[in-house]
Amino acid sequence: MKTLRSLAGLSSLARALSLALIALALAIAFVPAAAQAQPMLRTAPDWTRSLVNVEITFKAHDAFQPWNNPTLSVRKHGLVVAANEVLTTAQYLPTHTLVRLQKGGRGRWYDARVKWWDAQSNLALLTTEAPEFWAGLKPAELMTTVPAGPEFNLVRWREGNLESRRADFSRFIVSEGAMGFSPQMIMEVGTDIGGRLGWAEIVERDGRVAGLTTYGTSRLCGVMPASFIQRVLAAYRAGGFAGLGYFDFTWQPGSNPALVADLGLSGAPRGAVVHKPGKAKGEAGPQAGDVLLEIGGFAIDSEGDYLDPDYKHLQLENLATRAHFAGDKLPIKILRAGKEMTLDYVIPKAEFSNDTVPREVFYAPPAYVVAGGLIFQPLSQTFLRGWGDDWRKNSPFRLQYYQYAEPPDGRKALVVLSGVLPDDINLGYQDAFMLVLDKVNGQPVATLADLNAALAAPKDGVHRFEFMKGRGLQRLILDAATLDAATKRVVEHYGIPAATRL
Amino acid sequence: MQNSKGVLARWDNLGWRFVRAVVAGLVMALAFGGTGVSASRAEAFVAERAVVQILTSSQVPVYDAPWRFQPVQRSSGTGFVIEGGRILTNAHVIAWAKQILVRRYQDPRLLPARVVFAGHDCDLALLELIDPKELAEVKPLEFGELPEVRSTVVTAGYPAGGDQMSFTRGVVSRIEVQPYAHPGNRALLAVQTDAAINPGNSGGPVIQDDKVVGVAFQGIPGLQNAGFFIPPEVIRHFLDDIKDNRYDGFPMAGLSFYDLQNPAYRRLLGLPDDGRGARVDSLRAGGPAEKVLKPDDVLLEANGFVVGSDSLVLYKGNRVAATVVFQQLQAGQTLRLKIWRDRAPLGVDLPLEAYDGDRLNGRQYDEPPRYFIYGGLVFTSLSANYLDSVSGGGRGGMSDELAQLAYELHHLPVENPDAARTEPVVLSSVLPHPVNADFGVRGQALVNRINGVRITCLEDVKRALLEHKGERHRFEFWGPKYGVLDALDRAAATAANADILRTYGIVSAERL
Repeated sequence: MKTLRSLAGLSSLARALSLALIALALAIAFVPAAAQAQPMLRTAPDWTRSLVNVEITFKAHDAFQPWNNPTLSVRKHGLVVAANEVLTTAQYLPTHTLVRLQKGGRGRWYDARVKWWDAQSNLALLTTEAPEFWAGLKPAELMTTVPAGPEFNLVRWREGNLESRRADFSRFIVSEGAMGFSPQMIMEVGTDIGGRLGWAEIVERDGRVAGLTTYGTSRLCGVMPASFIQRVLAAYRAGGFAGLGYFDFTWQPGSNPALVADLGLSGAPRGAVVHKPGKAKGEAGPQAGDVLLEIGGFAIDSEGDYLDPDYKHLQLENLATRAHFAGDKLPIKILRAGKEMTLDYVIPKAEFSNDTVPREVFYAPPAYVVAGGLIFQPLSQTFLRGWGDDWRKNSPFRLQYYQYAEPPDGRKALVVLSGVLPDDINLGYQDAFMLVLDKVNGQPVATLADLNAALAAPKDGVHRFEFMKGRGLQRLILDAATLDAATKRVVEHYGIPAATRL
Repeated sequence: MQNSKGVLARWDNLGWRFVRAVVAGLVMALAFGGTGVSASRAEAFVAERAVVQILTSSQVPVYDAPWRFQPVQRSSGTGFVIEGGRILTNAHVIAWAKQILVRRYQDPRLLPARVVFAGHDCDLALLELIDPKELAEVKPLEFGELPEVRSTVVTAGYPAGGDQMSFTRGVVSRIEVQPYAHPGNRALLAVQTDAAINPGNSGGPVIQDDKVVGVAFQGIPGLQNAGFFIPPEVIRHFLDDIKDNRYDGFPMAGLSFYDLQNPAYRRLLGLPDDGRGARVDSLRAGGPAEKVLKPDDVLLEANGFVVGSDSLVLYKGNRVAATVVFQQLQAGQTLRLKIWRDRAPLGVDLPLEAYDGDRLNGRQYDEPPRYFIYGGLVFTSLSANYLDSVSGGGRGGMSDELAQLAYELHHLPVENPDAARTEPVVLSSVLPHPVNADFGVRGQALVNRINGVRITCLEDVKRALLEHKGERHRFEFWGPKYGVLDALDRAAATAANADILRTYGIVSAERL
């Protein structure tokens, strides 16, 4: 039966033949079963009517010349989910300059508009004002619960033709979203369809969509389940999408009996051990040394998993997004100093700006300040990724390390001197770069706005730049009287459109 | 001759000798094993009887299993007889030596030798034969002065590619302060030459007018016709240092200075634009310079040498980093500085001290790593050697954990000296045993606290564990405030200690 259904969606004659041979082999081996399957063959779902192509042109980040705005284009898939609404993943949309839609895998591209995008859920809704685009399209049906295996079909457009191939269920995992850090349950499927994957191809069964791919290698891809998509879309449509949350405390498995006993737990090991609290103090949130026993009514085992009614054992992080959004109250039963108690935890909102070195900055275009040839930019992972695919290996170690350790004074963002455009005013500083600003003219600097404010108040006729204490240069001085003229000169000399872009 | 690619490939297999992380690209001219076609002697050489080949069998510890040693390695270098019948060579030729044999010119015998002093910071070592009489007849080589750039020098040594002594001739290309690959965290005066310096040349004399003007020591792979030798000033400093029968090493003032070329900065400090003076940028907490200097002081002269605004001095006709003046003094001596402070010149005396506070930060030799084992938990010091052994020397693909260890070792002491530990301790591994089978942390983790005691050295670990009376030991990793927690049953762990050591063939539970 399964083989026959797979055959129905195939367009390639060669593949059809090879699968037909398999079907034949199966038929020989299991004649009665094949005979029974025959009457159940149903018409293949017509995905040409709901799966469309999406083309996104977006501004990329040039870490070394932030005033440059190289634009790149990507193509991925979109799914018609309602009248005049195409669903896709949010990847590449935040800095888009042009979005277009194409139906039927070929022909005209229609200018589209982004109605909504959300980085943490990695979802976006597109629309187009062109009525002819919508003609002949119909919304796809999304599953409300995605069954675990055993197999699905992966469907995509490839060179103008619809392509479908079996995708075998591998497992459900909980991981950070492809763009954000909010936890999501992801279904991993294996397929031999080949080519590039992770571009919002759909995974379906029986004509109902199980999810969109968000990442992939040539044989394995991650699928954002339809159940999750439905819940986020419902909240958005109801006007009440507060964003996704996350657990801001960190924990470890409670599998060492000696440790949980030392924390006051008796009996068989259960629960996970919190070792770093989030923002919530006291009884508002878990603290270091607490044992997490239940979250939202689900018992936590010593691996840090709970038993999901639909998806079996999943990591407890999933409870932050499984049935809740940011700002929701979630009761957490803990063991603290040997006593059980229930905390009224409020799920914090997952926002990139929570981190000193944000993973994503969606400046379009990126922000910078050029002052007397010194180039300043916010320190972000987006900036560090300017060192290419091997950025973890190649970007300056100390800059990267701010991702792990916040500055001791607790400042929430950092500005980096990323380069020097040589000019008379900065003579002698040509090797001073990749340094993090501490103060300018005595004022602490966390943002480019702080920097600009501090530059308004030079002392003794000079601007003093002080950098974070460390192995690099500690301070440099620029002449205040000639700074503006020098900046103007630098901007003209090096062909920079503007000295500041915030 | 072996082509350079082949030589490098062989060196690469010998991980610890191939210094990558701190001094990228520099390699020391030490040969390992080696056979090949014989090279013909270039020329007759009056001093050849004083030049010897040094054959070393060495054993390097395994830093993440600190009770163990790696297999014995055989390597060869060169040395030469100096006054007093002793042999001067590179420290890296004899580092970790278990046996040192000396082969004299045209003498078939192998003569056992021992190390008298090793200066790992300047990559020099002094050896003597177990039977010193063997060198009684040899005329020692004498030292000359720093050779001039463009002058010709001849090297003598036993490089790979043959068994007999080999000579090469070249010119002095330039003289600068260069990073020394062997210590990894020191830069001293060095001379670059285009005379071929190949593996096995290490420790050999560089000769001009029948006098030694350097000791060949390192090269840069991929750089054609560039070898480096240690100049007479560094050699004399080493030999003077050990006259009191103790090696203190090159003193460190603990200051970092920077070019002062920016006109606005000079105006602010009240200095004319005359190309003089380097600006003090930062001072090491607790170092001698911190007591007499302040940030934004300007170094105008050091022991009579005018310091330029490029931070260099004119030293015997070469513009070299001003640190060269500091390095002429011995620990305990005082550097006379003329500085500029508050818009006026000022004379200050800067006493220099020997400094080994960055010992763990550079490469260590000859002293096996300290460790303490309890309940199968292996604790050892966090060091550059340890990090190299677990990360393969480079930063490629460094895990979050290793990044944190690298930060703790290399950056925290500079950025926040108060929060830094004198000897950061890592749990390097856990020797599996029923008592620790449930212990979640299995290695490569910084130890923050044990039983509530902040761990600043291995002795703290021992004390915190042995003096604790509770039912269980509580461990806190990473920090500074929060990190992974773990626990161990005290009675069971204590009872299992002997069994664990026996199972894993460990002779001693500690090396402290």
